[in-house]
Amino acid sequence: MIKLTQIKKSFGRHQVLKGIDLTVEKGQVVAILGPSGSGKTTLLRCMNYLERPSEGEITIDEFTLNCRRPSKSDIHELRKKSAMVFQQYNLFRHKTALENVMEGLVIVQKVPKEQARVRSIELLEKVGLGSKLDSYPSQLSGGQQQRVGIARALALNPKVILFDEPTSSLDPELVGEVLSVIRKIAKEGITMIIVTHEMGFAQEVAGHVIFIDDGVIVERGTPNELFGSPKEERTKQFLKRFTPDGVYSI
Amino acid sequence: MNIDLPFIWSSLIELLSAIPTTLAITAVSMLCGLAIGTVVALIRLYKVPLLHHIAAAYVTFIRGTPMLTHLLLIYFGLPVIIDALSDQFGWSFRSVNIPMIGFAYISFSITAGAYLSEVVRSGLQAVNKGQIEAAYSIGMTTRQALGRIVFPQAFAILLPSLSNSTISMLHGSTLVFTVSVVDINAKSQIIASANWKFFEAFIAAAIIYWGLTILIERLTAMVEKRINIYNRGGVT
Repeated sequence: MIKLTQIKKSFGRHQVLKGIDLTVEKGQVVAILGPSGSGKTTLLRCMNYLERPSEGEITIDEFTLNCRRPSKSDIHELRKKSAMVFQQYNLFRHKTALENVMEGLVIVQKVPKEQARVRSIELLEKVGLGSKLDSYPSQLSGGQQQRVGIARALALNPKVILFDEPTSSLDPELVGEVLSVIRKIAKEGITMIIVTHEMGFAQEVAGHVIFIDDGVIVERGTPNELFGSPKEERTKQFLKRFTPDGVYSI
Repeated sequence: MNIDLPFIWSSLIELLSAIPTTLAITAVSMLCGLAIGTVVALIRLYKVPLLHHIAAAYVTFIRGTPMLTHLLLIYFGLPVIIDALSDQFGWSFRSVNIPMIGFAYISFSITAGAYLSEVVRSGLQAVNKGQIEAAYSIGMTTRQALGRIVFPQAFAILLPSLSNSTISMLHGSTLVFTVSVVDINAKSQIIASANWKFFEAFIAAAIIYWGLTILIERLTAMVEKRINIYNRGGVT
């Protein structure tokens, strides 16, 4: 379904990703963990080419892109396979919640406007924002904006949804509402890759956890394996700050 | 000192007929300038090979020389080029067929293009990078992302500067008297010297320019109010 082969990425002389191999099956929920600067967000952004990998191969849904010399249309094709939920929400500021969700349907997928509207309202209701259709992003709280962001991603019916630290810029009391929406769509069997710092959430929702440090995958496994009995020293060190019941001990 | 107030009034009335000329020069130069400026800004932002050097040279040369100089260069240079080309290719078009105001349109558009390219560039750069990333992430092409997401937001940001430039152009358009186009300013000179009442005629011209400027300010405020709805969060 999704296959990354030897993804490498350098910013100048600093190599951020040192050859990542990753396979994600259809319907899987994968959480990517790792300390700041480990390359986890860069990896996620490489998957839809917001970051240009220096080398490697990306396959999503039987479409393979070689990162050496991709054409514009190949990049565009790859991007259409995925959707992204951003840390900073990145809702279109000049469009209402409803317009934000409709935009991709109408402009990219050429769905007739009325049909797109019905579908978008449905999705906004699903994320609990049926009453905020005509609100602009500036009128919404962070949690509400992020839920619109999730609806916008869902609307495209992508093969995979990429979550880039979806709760990191939220006030603590707003984290819950966003996580519960993600939890809900995880249950629907949508393929998701989530970069997160919410250990408890990763443990609960993900079927598969990956620990990245310094541009390489240090360890991977089920949540039980990784959280319960990490094998690598680096993983143990990282997880020490976190106790199994989902509370940071700082 | 004697001021002939009734003469100011009659000059005002007489000057009204020159308003369309001034407005036409301002509007054409600003619209063409905005088109040129947008293209130049995009070329520079995306560092289009070769072209972005040309674009940079254009901006520094035009901004480094007075608007009057551009007008004179076009006025004296363009006919030479056009007639040479006509001879070369056997066209019947001659430079004398170009109306005087045409030189003003061309030269001021070139002037405005350079200044506006910087205005547009600052507007585009002020739009958060996350906006275009989000557009890409939902599968938009660069053209769609710019046209639907980035430009509408950039326009809202650069509107005040645009209004400023329009006012500058309105006032700068007085230079056309050098190529014998009769705009408000040139007409006021004609009225002044014909009646030997300079001060009064120029007061009348000043009043008209001021009025037009206020009009531009009002229009800007109206547009700004409309397109900035999303910023103020004022819609329910």
